[in-house]
Amino acid sequence: MGESLAALIRPLALALWGAVLLWSTLSGRLDLLLRGVFHPLVGLSGVALLALALHQLLRGRQERHWNRGWALSALLAIAVLALPPNPSFSDLAANRNSDLGDAVELDFLLPPSQRSLTDWVRLLRSQPDPALYAGDPVRISGFVLTQPDGPPQLGRLLVRCCLADATPIGLPLRWPSGAIPPADQWLAVEGTMGVETIAGQPRSVVLPKRIRPIPRPARPLEP
Amino acid sequence: MNRLATIWAIFQGLLLEALPFLLIGVLIAGLARWLAPGGRWLQRLPRQPLLAPLSGAALGFALPACECGNVPVARRLLAGGAPLGSALGFLFAAPVLNPIVLASTWAAFPDQPWLLAARPLAALVVALALSALLQQLPEGALLEPALLEERRLSQPLEQVGLLERRSGLVGSVAPMPPPAAERPHLASVLDHSSREFLDLAGLLVLGCAIAAVVQTLLPRTWLLAVGGAPTLSVLSLMLMAVVVSVCSSVDAFLALGFAAQITPGALLAFLVLGPVVDLKLLGLFGVVLRPRAIALTAAGACVVVLLIGQWVNLWLL
Repeated sequence: MGESLAALIRPLALALWGAVLLWSTLSGRLDLLLRGVFHPLVGLSGVALLALALHQLLRGRQERHWNRGWALSALLAIAVLALPPNPSFSDLAANRNSDLGDAVELDFLLPPSQRSLTDWVRLLRSQPDPALYAGDPVRISGFVLTQPDGPPQLGRLLVRCCLADATPIGLPLRWPSGAIPPADQWLAVEGTMGVETIAGQPRSVVLPKRIRPIPRPARPLEP
Repeated sequence: MNRLATIWAIFQGLLLEALPFLLIGVLIAGLARWLAPGGRWLQRLPRQPLLAPLSGAALGFALPACECGNVPVARRLLAGGAPLGSALGFLFAAPVLNPIVLASTWAAFPDQPWLLAARPLAALVVALALSALLQQLPEGALLEPALLEERRLSQPLEQVGLLERRSGLVGSVAPMPPPAAERPHLASVLDHSSREFLDLAGLLVLGCAIAAVVQTLLPRTWLLAVGGAPTLSVLSLMLMAVVVSVCSSVDAFLALGFAAQITPGALLAFLVLGPVVDLKLLGLFGVVLRPRAIALTAAGACVVVLLIGQWVNLWLL
């Protein structure tokens, strides 16, 4: 029993990691973890690992001794398959800079009601005069992003590669009195852009007419 | 509980991003083994102090492997009689100067094109410095004894006297001659690659776990305090590169987690030191170098990388 398991552990571990990569691609799990451009590479690598596992299985028994490292690795692959990621975006954002770097240049400008939250943040950083946007219609969605100093904003995470480099961005929102939803709650907001003065400086703020809780979108990360 | 969920998600993100690059690296290293470097061309590589390490470094493009894959290849080069400078240049620079590593660096940092030039350039500087430093030692004090004997059997008699061979016609029983440059079966190459993948995936899992925990649990104020200090940030990231021991084909993804909080010199130091010196490599180097040479490599690489990191901070901060 021990020897046959020892012989099987290599194809088994390879197949499990192949299954992790393939299942993560097919089930849409990658939408929560990686930028879209990498998804085909992950899926193809899963297929390659499954093929390698089949090749190793057909080659027959080779290992005579139990490899504890590979067994642990196989167990971890099972854990990754069984426990999908469910991160708190607000918690993740709390430990990050919201530095957009050079990504603030806009190629073209959509009409106000078609701009996403990310488009609005980029526009406000490239042309930060609040008077330009006062009264513009706003239709955006995002999650409740807590702020260390002040009321929460409506936020999104930008990802260049994977969740590890996620950069939070947020838009200030004038919350209806006594109705601030919990952190991480996803909301669809309709309203207009207004101007408020914070510490003597004018800034743009979303004046909501309608706030609606929504489930987390299938593709919550933005490039 | 939120923290645990976030750690788990970042861990999965890093791992799923890095595993395909690890697989590609291992398969290409296997392919290089299948194409079997060896034979007379090794001895015709340049021997000049500058050209030798440069030619070794350039071999990284022909035999792309991460640092774990290239230690056995470098041993094979030395055993086959390749000039010392070329083999050392390959050993230290090829883990960075290869298409897989450059592609993963680009994938992780598309917004920092300077890194794509600075990383291979810095790796080349480290390789030249280490190659010059180690060649101050005689081969007998530098190379692992069994390798040295294999190497002397491959070197022509005008370079190595019969008595220096210490085996064969004179002296003790001859060791196994260096393996001929015959092509191994593809099936056995795939066996080797699958073993290598699983061994390295274990280290990758550990590296991703450390990166995810540090990134989530270390307070941002600490990260900013350490990461923002020019010298301290370089030293901390050098320490992290040595401890994390992740392959060069995927280490750029781990660096992503800290990139926003650290100085550019620290980021480069992490990406350049890891492929030359880390805890896992210190063990692997034992098949090529003697302990004294390994210590010299570690110390030399640390000093050069610290200087490069400081210089980059002076330039970019």
